[in-house]
Amino acid sequence: MVGPIASLSQLNRADGSASYKCPATGYSILGAVNAPIELPARRDALKPEEATVEVFVKPGTTTAGVGERYAEGILRSALGKIVLGREKGFPRRGLVITLTIVGGENVERGDSYLTILPALLHAALLAMVSASVPLSMTFSATLLGVTKSGDIVRDPSPTAAKAAVSLHAFAFSSKNHLLLNESVGRFEFDTWELVRERALSICQGATTSTDGDVTMGEGTASASLNGFIRETVEDQIYSDYAYKLDSI
Amino acid sequence: MSAPLVLLPSDEVPKDHLPTNSSNPLRLGPGLRILSQPSSKGTNHVLTATQAGLLTTDAKRNTVSLLSFPNRRYIPTVNDFVIAQIHHSSVDFFHCMVTPHTAHALLGQLSFEGASKKTRPMLKQGELVYARVQSVGLGAGAEVELTCVNPATGKADGGLGPLTAGMVFDVSTGMAARLIRASSSSAENTDAIDGLVVLSELGKKLESLGGFEIAVGRNGKVWVDCSNAAESAVKVTIAIGRCLQETDQQNLHTHDQKKLVTKILRDMKLVS
Amino acid sequence: MASTTTPSNPTPPSLSLPPSQFARLQPHAYLLAHLSPPPASNQPSIRANGRAASQFRVTSANAGSLTHTNGSAVVRIGDTAAVCGVRAEILHTKDIASWSVLQASSEQNFDKSNEAGVSESQDEEDKGHIQDLNLLVPNLSLSTGCAPGFTPGAPPSALAQSLSHQILSLLHTTRLVKADDLRIWYQPPNLDSEEFRNAGEGMDVDTEESGGPEREVKAFWVLYIDVMIISLAGNPFDAAWASVLAALRDTKLPKAWWDADNETILCSDDVADVQRLSLRGLPVSSSFCSFEGDIAAGWRAVVIPDAEEQKQKKGAQQRWILADPDGYEEGLSQERVSVVVDRENGKTVIVKMEKHGGWTVDSDDLRHLVDVSAERWDEMKRILDQC
Repeated sequence: MVGPIASLSQLNRADGSASYKCPATGYSILGAVNAPIELPARRDALKPEEATVEVFVKPGTTTAGVGERYAEGILRSALGKIVLGREKGFPRRGLVITLTIVGGENVERGDSYLTILPALLHAALLAMVSASVPLSMTFSATLLGVTKSGDIVRDPSPTAAKAAVSLHAFAFSSKNHLLLNESVGRFEFDTWELVRERALSICQGATTSTDGDVTMGEGTASASLNGFIRETVEDQIYSDYAYKLDSI
Repeated sequence: MSAPLVLLPSDEVPKDHLPTNSSNPLRLGPGLRILSQPSSKGTNHVLTATQAGLLTTDAKRNTVSLLSFPNRRYIPTVNDFVIAQIHHSSVDFFHCMVTPHTAHALLGQLSFEGASKKTRPMLKQGELVYARVQSVGLGAGAEVELTCVNPATGKADGGLGPLTAGMVFDVSTGMAARLIRASSSSAENTDAIDGLVVLSELGKKLESLGGFEIAVGRNGKVWVDCSNAAESAVKVTIAIGRCLQETDQQNLHTHDQKKLVTKILRDMKLVS
Repeated sequence: MASTTTPSNPTPPSLSLPPSQFARLQPHAYLLAHLSPPPASNQPSIRANGRAASQFRVTSANAGSLTHTNGSAVVRIGDTAAVCGVRAEILHTKDIASWSVLQASSEQNFDKSNEAGVSESQDEEDKGHIQDLNLLVPNLSLSTGCAPGFTPGAPPSALAQSLSHQILSLLHTTRLVKADDLRIWYQPPNLDSEEFRNAGEGMDVDTEESGGPEREVKAFWVLYIDVMIISLAGNPFDAAWASVLAALRDTKLPKAWWDADNETILCSDDVADVQRLSLRGLPVSSSFCSFEGDIAAGWRAVVIPDAEEQKQKKGAQQRWILADPDGYEEGLSQERVSVVVDRENGKTVIVKMEKHGGWTVDSDDLRHLVDVSAERWDEMKRILDQC
């Protein structure tokens, strides 16, 4: 299947930005991050000890509604946990993440937002990395659907997602923690565990190396989503520091 | 030095990448933190990255740091040289813009070399100063203070003070840092520093036209002045600006930089 | 620990604080002290509100409290109270712009349904109609002065909007309401037989008659489901969803039919004619939060965020999963788990499961939480059946 496409630092004025496109689901997200910035209007509402994470999701063709508020809430709590908001320069300041849905089918009113969550999560992560926001870990996310016949489908297209019996969005940290799970539909716990295992292998690659992530074998790294995130970031750094690497 | 290593947040710094010089304590640059890992036999300490970047070590000074993306917004840090633009002045201070869309930085009316109530420079809106960041304050809403003198000597070391004539170009903050490194060490080493030859190349080619003066601010601004070049001053200034910006935007390699300089100077009919 | 916080006290420093002040000054330590009592004291680990970790608050439900609605319920979970009213309004098919298109596509579905499993595609079609035509319109309001943070009359907060979306999305994915209950039919008179059963005041419609021209949908009931949280003390979703569920179970729709002569919909005012909604299943929501024991976790940058999964097996219990958190506990934890379960033929089925905001809860815990939620399902069923 066609893997996702991502690139970093596309926008000039934002502190960090990333675009992410998942060909299988058709979603394409442009994310921008500004951090640390002053949120002047709410200075007294800001937390004194750490950064305030704000997430905005903008649908491509309509104005944001209740569904976007819900997705923003989930993203805020999931991302807020991995941001090191107490690092120097961050307390009492804001971290603003704006995610624009530039491609893919619209999420209808009342539709479950989880089909687009993985793409939103990836775009937000890459944009934060590009803005050099201190993070405690990275993660990768995937969407799985269970069909009527019980098959597990990776990244189902919007039509396949509608027909699926249950839909599951997972995010795993770079250290294999389950960071986020959103499941809807009718399913039993055993099914969920199978889906979880599949999701983990998609995110981390088939084998989980124990001796640090750096020396991960090329083959598995590129196949997994975590590997994909790593490669995207490495490519950008190699091109930015080409002058330095050449002289070595 | 071993192969270039890119770290992502939560990656550990491999032990064999650390400098082995043990006379000085190891110093950590930005993007790295030390974590303790409680284990059965006491606590181990590991270095992990909090940002994505290229791991670089300096054996001489015993430092490890992570080079993150170079096109970041400038965040004022004490002792940085910046090029600031006066926005307005009040009784005690000039209010200057260091980066767009942020609060103004303060520059004392008297923090110039030899300035007194009578002799202080009367800077107007839009004028430029080459200044040093004196303090950044603590917490949100803190004011950044600039100075144009070295408080220890009272002298304007390193060309601090108002910048007259010339022109300012915007470059990325990463490029600005490279330019500063390149210019600070170019005396003993004329070869490529950080892969940057564009300045020395320009210097060689433009010597006949009277040379040029340049000031680099950490905040991603480069001021260029070629008053000596008489009637072609404007052309030379623009040529230098173009060379710097294109080198920055296209991440040019050293030989490409040389080609670029030749091409631009020929295009603008400055050097045959 | 408590004594260090006393200097603000003007009286000579006393070394003890009343528990209520300790709870405000050191909320995390206060809850932690309750959950992990010193081994010597022989006290059980208990939450500050006196509940065991997986104990829910006392729940009560009362249906039909509001007389001007088609269905209503008040659900109280501890100090969190939600009022839900369901109002039914008629939506004429002639007012639906895309009706003819929708009808054509649904007929195709009917054709297909003869080949495949009938009931399943019936479900699909139900979901489609309810969703496409927005026949269920839930709205949740927190601007009632339910908690100090919410000023009355303010625009809906992000939390209120997010809860509205969760209710709507759950109504859609569980297919709780059958589209068939919301349809208002018209059976064109069969011109061959002139035997109409005349109903009371001269209305001549017979929907039960089979054969003759095909009957058609003339209108839909649209259910406006309004939830007001009148007191918020944590866990608003469980209370809101339970009130929606109870109100929908209470909802009675008057008998309605298309009157061909007046070309309008008429409703019967006879109480005996009302029809209750027949809901699909009884999805019950249970929410949990994970309270992390390490006070300094966020501050002490020296603790490695976590190793591989091994740590979770080895590590001492550094976190507690608290069922049905109250406002105090919600303020102290970031990780939330929400499980919605239903029971089908004696088997527990998960309808929705979500967790976010942390990394301490994984599949073992979730399996346990599903079991807890299944027990909660029994309890909630009993409560809802009684109301």
